Amino acid sequence: MTSLDGMTAPAAQAGAVTPARRSSRRAGAGASAARRRARWAGWLFALPALVMYAVFELYPVLTAVQYSFYDWDGIGVATPAGLQNYVRVFTEPQLVASIWHSFALILFFSLLPVTLGLVVASITREIRSQFAGGVARTLMFLPQIIPGAASAIAWTWMYSPDGAVNQLLSAVGLGALRTAWLGDFTWALPAVGIIGTWLATGLCTLLLLAGIGKIDASIYEAAQIDGANRIQQFFAITLPGLRSEIGVCITITVIAALASFDVVFMSTQGGPGYATTVPGVQVYQLAFTENRVGQSSALAVVLSLLVLAVILPLQRLFRER
Amino acid sequence: MSRQHLVRPARAAVAIAAFASLATVTACGAPGASSEPAATTAATSAAISTQAPTSPVTITLYDGQGLKGVDDALIAAFTKKYPNVTVKATYDPDNVTTQNQPRQLAAAEPPDLIRVISVSSGVKNGLLTNLDPYAAAYGWDKLPASQLAQFRAKDGVAGSGNLYAKPTGFTMTGLYYDKANAAKIGMTNPPASVEELTALMAKAKSAGLVPMVVHNKEGGGVFPFQLLLNSMLGPDKVAAWVFNAPDATIDTPEAVKAAQQVADWNKAGYFPDGVNGLDANAADALFASGKAVFFPWGNWDAANIDKTLPGKAGFIPMPPATAGGQVGAMSDAATAFGIPAKAKNKDAAALFLDFLSSDEARQIAVDNGFMPSGTDDQAAPTIPAGSVKTDVVAAFKAVSAAGGQTPFVQNATAGISNQAWNPETQLLLGGKSDPQKYVANIQAKYASELGR
Repeated sequence: MTSLDGMTAPAAQAGAVTPARRSSRRAGAGASAARRRARWAGWLFALPALVMYAVFELYPVLTAVQYSFYDWDGIGVATPAGLQNYVRVFTEPQLVASIWHSFALILFFSLLPVTLGLVVASITREIRSQFAGGVARTLMFLPQIIPGAASAIAWTWMYSPDGAVNQLLSAVGLGALRTAWLGDFTWALPAVGIIGTWLATGLCTLLLLAGIGKIDASIYEAAQIDGANRIQQFFAITLPGLRSEIGVCITITVIAALASFDVVFMSTQGGPGYATTVPGVQVYQLAFTENRVGQSSALAVVLSLLVLAVILPLQRLFRER
Repeated sequence: MSRQHLVRPARAAVAIAAFASLATVTACGAPGASSEPAATTAATSAAISTQAPTSPVTITLYDGQGLKGVDDALIAAFTKKYPNVTVKATYDPDNVTTQNQPRQLAAAEPPDLIRVISVSSGVKNGLLTNLDPYAAAYGWDKLPASQLAQFRAKDGVAGSGNLYAKPTGFTMTGLYYDKANAAKIGMTNPPASVEELTALMAKAKSAGLVPMVVHNKEGGGVFPFQLLLNSMLGPDKVAAWVFNAPDATIDTPEAVKAAQQVADWNKAGYFPDGVNGLDANAADALFASGKAVFFPWGNWDAANIDKTLPGKAGFIPMPPATAGGQVGAMSDAATAFGIPAKAKNKDAAALFLDFLSSDEARQIAVDNGFMPSGTDDQAAPTIPAGSVKTDVVAAFKAVSAAGGQTPFVQNATAGISNQAWNPETQLLLGGKSDPQKYVANIQAKYASELGR
């Protein structure tokens, strides 16, 4: 449940530098004690953060794992349930469907924003004027400032039968396509997904722009002199140069898709029917509406493992060589 | 070196403490085991008093934000009558009361008066005070049985047994109607049967009006279904189902018939376009626009409708399945207050509960759009002329007299509204389900959540 906000940056590389530095230090027996002391002193500095981590991250995770093996209403005495809660996660059709929906959302929360971000970032790079570039960046990043829940409400209005989307369709002569987007069994999931696209594109654009800024401008110049057009430059220079930034974008947005909660909860609550149920909303409803804390914890644990199973290979794929 | 010796034990202590705290988490056994169940019987044997306190006492109250208006008015009137009592109220946003209330109730120091959402779960965990001694002492037994039945429980089943809560007032459901449009389609008297209602809606349809404002984005489509069900299945069976009586089922021919009627109306185009995408606000706007005739909804919207259609809207109970048959309406407590087993000032809290059916409190309930709790021989609260509330109170009286008050089917279990009623009704109105499947799926969810 801790990754529900979906925007927690990966912290995998945190301790990667220490072994190298340690091996480079060669010291005699007398210095070894001092060295050890220094090492522990380092931990002391980290202690406040570690305590916070243990209390607010580790402890809830461990209790969630524990709860997942019980039937518990959150108040009374729990009864052991063995693996029953986990069996249900994979056999109750609505829970299984919710997991599939979250995978479908990857298209909208991750692939589309990264693609759009790449296009926009490449175009924005070309803007010579400092002012215009700044305005473009600010406008692109604006959706990121608005809380997902708030933008979901705004989008709900736009999607309503008399909302902006349908008015726009009528205005351009496509009135026949008018529908209650969030109430339509076919369109509800894509409609929710587009809210996510709108939210994530700005973040991706900004990250990718920063990455493009790091690419040596002389490479572009050289390519231009060699006669490479913009498209060729994009595929030969920009795309390879952004490898790690794309990796970060994909990681963050895939987590946001798999663990999505706020946008779905505020716009459809999983409806119509069960067309937009996602694990994040199910975890919430099982725990706090149905008071099935054990079942909810089991789904949350499965969701966390699922996120890890998807993210770890991606991390490997995008690692700089 | 000496510093190192000082550091080491401290470090070890931290490590041990950290480990111990994690170990207690995982090794403490079943969650919730440590909380001792409070004995409900203790309250029964303890001496009670119905005397107004002679020295200052402060009681605490917990409710949802949406009821702050009525609660604050009740508290003001109560503390004016009993100056020694101070009431400190806490309100949670309505969308989290369901989640927070069980935790408030289970707290080490719970409020003295708490909104009771599920009588049976509160009783199961021994967290609510049995109010029978107070009921006997104050004479609450004189209230019509239907007004208190839903706050009683016995052996984990609500509906009868010991009393655990008392209401501030009641909600009421039925059909709002636009008077001008009703006249246009020739409705001079309220329809006497579902058949007559259907005929009126057909006329409305051909007159280019929206016959019935149903909004199903958040499950409002359950309203027309249950309004029909109350009459077709009968209030007692509906109530038994909601109260989880053993063997209660909604998978019956009568329920299928009610669902069929709703599906037929929908198919005939009597509901607005995009009914599954319409929320309550949009429905309000549609009804206020003067393009609709009927609106199956409840008393909570009366004040709003007085503003948007002043003097132009009426309210009737859903007509019975056949003329002269059983009328019914969903009607439960605005808030039912109970006293937690661990509350400190039970006598003063009970004094407040008694006050809830006084003439002053009844007037406050009506002023805030609720139906008053009380006996028939009490003075009728006054309502401003021209308000649709007059119709709502009259409808409540008629339904109460016919024994037609039923609890909401969405409250049968904690998860059934979100996990079955809303999605299944969306499937039904979206043409993705059929009436038989509709009731069968809901019954299956009901049974699985109750572990049957």
